[in-house]
Amino acid sequence: MKKGLARIFLLCTMTIVTTGCWDYTEIELRDLVMGAGVDAEDPKVIVITEMAKSIGVGQEAEFEPVVLTTDARSLTSGAHNLANPAGMEIFWAHAQVFLVSEEVARSSILQVLEPIVRARDLRSTMYLLVTKDCTVEEVFKSKPPLVDGVSRHLASVIRLSDVTTDFIPQQVWRFIGDLSSPGISGTLPGVELVHEGGALLPVVRGAAVFKLDRLIGWLSKEETQILALLKGESEGGFFVMDTEVKGNTFPITYEFRGSQFQTKPSVDGENLRMKVSLSLQLGVAGVKGADVDFSDLAVVNDIEGQVSRSFTRRIRDFLGLIQEDYNSDIVGFGQLLWRQEPAIWRKVESDWDAVFRDLPVDVDVDCRISFTGFHAQPIKVRN
Amino acid sequence: MFFWKKAKGERSKAKGLDRLSTSLEINVKWLKSNLFADDDTIVYRHFRTKEPQARQCVLIHADNMTKHEFLSDYIVRPMMSSSLPKELQGRRLIQHITEQVIQSDGVAVFTDYNKLAEGVVAGSGAVLVEGCNHGISVDAQGWERRSVTEPQTESVVRGPRQGFTEDLLVNVSLVRRKILNPALKVKILDVGLQTRTKVAIVYVEGIASKELVDEVFQRIERIETDAILESGYIEEFIRDSPNCPFPTIGHTERPDGVAGKILEGRVAVLVDGTPFALTMPYLLVEAFQANEDYYHHWIAASFHRTLRYISFFLTTSTPGLYLALVTHHPQLIPVNLSVSIAAARKNVPFPAIVEVMVMGLVFEILREGGVRLPKPVGQAISIVGAIVLGDAAVSASLVSAPMIIVVGITGVAGFVVSKLNDTAVLIRILLVVTSAILGIYGFLFGIMGIMIQLASMESFGVPYLSSLTSLTIQGSKDTIVRLPWWRMVLRPRHLAAKNRERLQRKSRSKTK
Repeated sequence: MKKGLARIFLLCTMTIVTTGCWDYTEIELRDLVMGAGVDAEDPKVIVITEMAKSIGVGQEAEFEPVVLTTDARSLTSGAHNLANPAGMEIFWAHAQVFLVSEEVARSSILQVLEPIVRARDLRSTMYLLVTKDCTVEEVFKSKPPLVDGVSRHLASVIRLSDVTTDFIPQQVWRFIGDLSSPGISGTLPGVELVHEGGALLPVVRGAAVFKLDRLIGWLSKEETQILALLKGESEGGFFVMDTEVKGNTFPITYEFRGSQFQTKPSVDGENLRMKVSLSLQLGVAGVKGADVDFSDLAVVNDIEGQVSRSFTRRIRDFLGLIQEDYNSDIVGFGQLLWRQEPAIWRKVESDWDAVFRDLPVDVDVDCRISFTGFHAQPIKVRN
Repeated sequence: MFFWKKAKGERSKAKGLDRLSTSLEINVKWLKSNLFADDDTIVYRHFRTKEPQARQCVLIHADNMTKHEFLSDYIVRPMMSSSLPKELQGRRLIQHITEQVIQSDGVAVFTDYNKLAEGVVAGSGAVLVEGCNHGISVDAQGWERRSVTEPQTESVVRGPRQGFTEDLLVNVSLVRRKILNPALKVKILDVGLQTRTKVAIVYVEGIASKELVDEVFQRIERIETDAILESGYIEEFIRDSPNCPFPTIGHTERPDGVAGKILEGRVAVLVDGTPFALTMPYLLVEAFQANEDYYHHWIAASFHRTLRYISFFLTTSTPGLYLALVTHHPQLIPVNLSVSIAAARKNVPFPAIVEVMVMGLVFEILREGGVRLPKPVGQAISIVGAIVLGDAAVSASLVSAPMIIVVGITGVAGFVVSKLNDTAVLIRILLVVTSAILGIYGFLFGIMGIMIQLASMESFGVPYLSSLTSLTIQGSKDTIVRLPWWRMVLRPRHLAAKNRERLQRKSRSKTK
């Protein structure tokens, strides 16, 4: 019996003494960070956090967001300094979004990513966003219309990426992957403040284009749509295009129902080419008064041709923008080459920026209107 | 050597005193002044046989332990109306009476006072005749019996409404009526130096292994204690792993339960004076089985089984997991939930560990308070406990609302696996302590400890986790799922090793 007790005692002592999991903290003594961000104020940075403050007691308990800011020499020290104004242990693991101001992103986003990766309780599944034409603090202090707290609002907007192509969400780990992989540059979604009914609302749209670790420019909402198509991340969304039907031009609203996308590098002697084939399935969401008979195959074929041409043009414009203006391979042509033609990649790797700038790209768009809404013929108003 | 001689001498002297005398008067006097001294419930009925050779007789029995009418109809009346031949004396006279006068079964002849006394206290009538140093004992047991009713602890929606009573022979007959087969064996032992409680060992010969039956016999025979008042006494004496809270011997109040178990090769022990029969060996899976599982559709039964396993996990683990997540790993709780738990706990003055412990204790107090109270009062207790205490505690910020939910889940899930309820309480406390110290790591550490303990246990030579750990369909046919009867081809391997087939070949598919 004594031997047994001694064994149990030894086991318990060993487990308790030799492990580092002594981490008992009451949950109400932790300050839960919902989202955070960094503004630049040379030479210092301003660290902003949005925390959940609980109000009410017992069954009526609710919480409301509280924004705290502090300035510091670095993100890490700022994050630690925040514990003092917060008055509690800061708990980062629930942070869902991390905002970076344009200024910080233009100087180098590494100063933000490094501490996030190093910190043991910050998750690399956080969504990264860049503020456009406003500071992070202004975004956090805006009032979202439905949800309490900017972080929750942004997180729920990001969840909408299935049905909209206004932006491409980017998590920390994926963005780091894009930064460190050969032949691809990263983009981050942008946040803007929009006046709406007398209040400022945060809106996620467009994309910040990076070259290496620096922000070099922006893509508009429409350009982001093309980027999403070329990266195969488009899952939904609508667009309006002026379409000519039997001599008249109507704005028709189309809906993305699906897309297949293929990029193939082809080498002809010394000449490297890219071939982009995109096949789109569209639905017709609204015709706005146009008298279009979608049961007429000739009409549909004509519309399909117009949409295909329009997309070809848009893709060419987009490629021109990123190849010549930004010279940043955000579509990942280089990565594709690295994967499919490693021998050629090795030849052009050192000089990829120049090669990418002049890379000839063949664009082939095939469009099918698969859902025309036969049952919903255009409403005819009697004369 | 000297002591031995002395002891032997005393014993023989005592033996001389034990024997009946030929004088009826001396016998009665001796009984009244020795064995039955200060016992007013012993009845001495004096009567005489018919003239001309009238002899003085006495019928001794314990009041209310015997059937009065039976004694007067089948012993007193025939003896009073018959004249005993004068030439018959002693043993031959007694033989004449047992063979030609007394008309009842269960007649035995004795020659010493102790046998007489043992018979009388067990409900026999003893007849002594003048001039004869032999006596006759006649079985005439007749005391108040509870009728066979549905057991309260194991009531069923579908299934027989019979439960065991406190009477051993009634219980044996209930089992025998389920298994009309001479292979059903019932061996009766007397256990308890003072109580002489009858204990029946019941098994089916040819299915139960001989080694198992012998082992049960030996373990019960080894018991030398004053009293066996309930089968729980025997259970504690003969069980494996006596210090482990997991049961290694099962108990049931239902004859169909006992019949089912012994038909799988187990041995049942029925004890006089209690409706609870023991079955052994007892495996962990049995705690999750219910009689009704075998009467309902197999899919429904399997679903209920699964529920019981989930409930057992919930009742043992919910407080520990809650504590581990809330105090060590809030990052594992969804954001909104952790925010609302933090908000709910804001004004609670106690740390979460104290909250868990105290609420667990309060729940156990309420349960214990409700169990032994009369039904109407018990209901009042549960209403006071559940609604008044819980609600008031939350609004007074003594406990957080999530804690009430945790205790509620724990408690309700505990009732689903009632056979392991007491065990679950101890496991729960263990897991709460380990989780409070080391979080999820501690929780898993506790689970591992329990698994090691369970894997090392045996019940009458059968591994405690067998069937649960089986990899074949036949081995695990009656564990988390219950396969239909037409798939239960073999009896459990560890229980009926030598005679395994229980389903005849032509029934091995659905018979229409």
